[in-house]
Amino acid sequence: MTPTSPSLGRAPSQLAGSWEGGLLVFIALLYLAGAVVNPTFFGSTEGLHALLRDTSRVGIIAVGMTFVIVNKDLDLSVGSTYGLIAVVFARLFAPSFLDFGIVATIILCLLLGAAIGLVNGVLVTLLKVPAFIATLTMLFIGRGFVLALTHGQAIYYSGKAKAAPLFFHLGETNVLGFNNQIAIFAIVAAAGAIVLAKTRWGYETFATGGNEQAAVYAGIPANWVRIRAYLISSLSATVAALLAAAQDKGVTPLYGVSWELTVIASVIIGGASILGGRGGVVGSCLGAALVVLIDKVLREGWPITRTVVIDGESIAVSARYTLPAGAVLVFLGLLLVIAVLIEPYLIRRQVLARFWAWLRRHPPPPAMEMGGVALEGVQTKGAMAADMALSATGLGKFLARRDALAIILAAVLWLTGVALRPDYWWNLSNTFAILLNYTELALITIGLTYVIAAGDIDLSVGAVLALAGSTAAYFLKVLGADPMTAIAMGLVAGMAAGLVNATVTVGFKLPSFIATLGMFYIARGLAAWFVAGQQLTGWTEGYNLIGRKVSDVLLYFDVAPPPGFIRTVTEVVSVQTVWMFFVAVVAGIVLAYTPFGLKVCATGGNLRAAAYAGINTNRIRFLSLMLAALCATMAGLINVAYFRSFNPVAGQFRELDAIASVIIGGGSIFGGHGTMIGSLAGAAVITLIRALLQLNVQGFTMPQHWINVFIGVILIVAVLIDIWVRQANILGTLRARFARRAPTGAGSHG
Amino acid sequence: MVDIQSPRPIVEMRGIEKAFGAVQALRKVDLVLYPGEILGLVGDNSAGKSTLMKILTGAYQRDAGEILVAGQPVQFKSPHESRDVGIEMIYQDFALCGNMDVGQNIFLGRWPLKGPFVNRRAMYAEADRVLKRLKVDVNSVYQKVESLSGGRQQSVAIARAISFEPRVVILDEPTANLSVMATERLLETMLELKRQGVAQIIISHRLVDIFAVGDRVMVLKRGEYVGDRYIRNTDEHEVLEIIVSGTRETALTADEARGRRP
Repeated sequence: MTPTSPSLGRAPSQLAGSWEGGLLVFIALLYLAGAVVNPTFFGSTEGLHALLRDTSRVGIIAVGMTFVIVNKDLDLSVGSTYGLIAVVFARLFAPSFLDFGIVATIILCLLLGAAIGLVNGVLVTLLKVPAFIATLTMLFIGRGFVLALTHGQAIYYSGKAKAAPLFFHLGETNVLGFNNQIAIFAIVAAAGAIVLAKTRWGYETFATGGNEQAAVYAGIPANWVRIRAYLISSLSATVAALLAAAQDKGVTPLYGVSWELTVIASVIIGGASILGGRGGVVGSCLGAALVVLIDKVLREGWPITRTVVIDGESIAVSARYTLPAGAVLVFLGLLLVIAVLIEPYLIRRQVLARFWAWLRRHPPPPAMEMGGVALEGVQTKGAMAADMALSATGLGKFLARRDALAIILAAVLWLTGVALRPDYWWNLSNTFAILLNYTELALITIGLTYVIAAGDIDLSVGAVLALAGSTAAYFLKVLGADPMTAIAMGLVAGMAAGLVNATVTVGFKLPSFIATLGMFYIARGLAAWFVAGQQLTGWTEGYNLIGRKVSDVLLYFDVAPPPGFIRTVTEVVSVQTVWMFFVAVVAGIVLAYTPFGLKVCATGGNLRAAAYAGINTNRIRFLSLMLAALCATMAGLINVAYFRSFNPVAGQFRELDAIASVIIGGGSIFGGHGTMIGSLAGAAVITLIRALLQLNVQGFTMPQHWINVFIGVILIVAVLIDIWVRQANILGTLRARFARRAPTGAGSHG
Repeated sequence: MVDIQSPRPIVEMRGIEKAFGAVQALRKVDLVLYPGEILGLVGDNSAGKSTLMKILTGAYQRDAGEILVAGQPVQFKSPHESRDVGIEMIYQDFALCGNMDVGQNIFLGRWPLKGPFVNRRAMYAEADRVLKRLKVDVNSVYQKVESLSGGRQQSVAIARAISFEPRVVILDEPTANLSVMATERLLETMLELKRQGVAQIIISHRLVDIFAVGDRVMVLKRGEYVGDRYIRNTDEHEVLEIIVSGTRETALTADEARGRRP
């Protein structure tokens, strides 16, 4: 923990002639370009100062994130941690709320930051939840808390801030003429760089990220190393949030939205590998500067001269061209996807060094490691649940099914609804209203079941839903296209997103969570971009038929159903529900009874074994990801038709719902398992939970933000149940221990 | 070479060379395998045993040399092509899908069909038949592979391999992860396969196992062939000596060595 002799300083190779040097040149060039395009902003020292000031907070979080990513982990929760800490600071400090003293407030904020880091770390290491799923859930939970604590409104405390000048001066310009945040950033970056590059802590981090098993064998406490990285990451976000509080003396609920994207992109651009074991703090900081600069260039826009006609006279007005809402998000998402390709395809293959040698007509440098067939590591799953289904009979056989939990839960939740509000719940139209909510989620879940069974994940389903809906709405409203064209264009947009997901994941061999995370931002940004952030509405009713009740459709075509039972049914059943069940039946049969379905499970179960058995695993994974995008696209088209309008927030949190549905329904987050019945039951569970939480019981309803927090908690619990009860069979182990038998965990085999 | 053995080798590798970058992994290695023969392939770590076998199955491409299977020159581009001519490799980690059951694993990737659906009845019946032929007892073909012990998983992997009706089976360190009992059972299975005329190559560090079932043992050292011996004409001591101090120049083939031995 003590830094090595300071006389050595940073090794020269770390800056000169390496990736970091290139980044510095690139930043300088980009800044010059910015200055040429927009001299009023970038030409001044103020512009440079603002860039450095804003880089400071992103950079501080990037320092912490570097530790996490070098560890082969990921922390998606930093953005919402940043927002949450700023909000908590405001709630604690603001005179209109708790009115604490500054010291107590800061201490409580630091404690909260440490607690979030600890929860992340424990979930990921001791409880073995995949990093992206644990921290993504923390992201949603944190966002829910931010909205709940602010009620969607800004909180300011500039009056009281004068009472604690020492702290609030940290966010302001000092006597030397630069912002104190820049100095703090410099200190944090230097400390982080030294710790990562020169101390045992850093070496342990690289070892854990490179080969965790080897690190454990060597006596490195890998779990502690990973928890420590999460703590560092969360505390960095906390420090950044405190600086933001010091600077702005107030907070809005939008603090830190999509900052995880900015930070992860920074670290990856800085030369860290998403596959772990590589990275540097200096690179991450330069990456942060680059990303913030790109963000600024995109947001500041460039001045243009617009000719305005007023009273028949043309007047040249100097205006500023700015990108529409969502565009920045699209570019940052693209940046993330491109950046994750940099390390494996540029740095590891020494493309730049080879190019440089080729330019100078020198022989190229020797290839690094050419290794044999670089197949993904052998999947070892540790102790697994015994095959209880074989010995059990009757009820035991049902309980041993992986999807039993979801089916039982769905039934219990529905009965709970009946018990709480018999008047409202026990009602046909309510049942079908729930069914309607269910349809959208179930449709997404169908595709996601394939992806998760094949061992991948698709975090972009909600965003793809919005993208498809937005495209269709744009064609209908803005271009006045006919319904068929709109549907076709929506499908094209959604499938294009799926194609990018599948290509980056399968073609470039990157983890699916990072590829689809990029798409999560890109698709949502594009959706907002198309409709310019507004709600589009009002187009031909012919399109809306795909989201109507059967009776409405019949009415549209002037067909009157015979009165009686059939008419009642047509008045409550919707077209999309029928369509969803049709898709579900086909997809369910394919998954359970055809070779394709078995190939999906084999691919997810053991990729190497499946490939060796002659299964084209790339094709299977590609098709699964495409199917997920297709299902999300259909859900998006139906969503727009049902609401007769497109709202940019359509499909928000749907990825969370859908992943939770599949996992509750017996899917494994590690792949290889999943049934359609289970997933549909899981989707029913999630829908019923949402419906129950929104239920007005004796005048009390739960606010929407808390519902999202609740769903996030359920996702984590479902993943934990999957890992610990279904796979590690912790119940069986305990029972065996109580029965005073050998605690083998994995049942009866010789 | 014409001998009491079957006159025509099932596999013949001549002058195989392979380099990984600057490292010469194999230098002019020859290998002959006769039908029904169990050949032990031994040598120190990085002697090139696995590389040689991966070249035979087509997982790696050779730089030079030729391979003949049943007298026909072949050029495999992937393990799938070598499987088509009857060469099966069983990997150290078995290459099974733990989430699927025994029957599904034996037919991994080529599940029998009935129309567009998997013919489950035929699949499980055939899987059961293959397991019976191997004389291994797995409780049920419906059992998930991840709930089986290491030895039983090994049996499933072998059952999978022989369900392709192979002529050559390559076992890479088959006993490395097995208990004593499971090893015994595996060796019995290998002898059973031999009785059915399947040639086998076994890569192993455990000479005891090779001496228990093998017909011949071949030694590689730093990518070079340094001799082979008939099991009945040699002992573990001699083989160890070849492994430690054998050179290309002093190498003797099994037949030459048999002539010299008293």
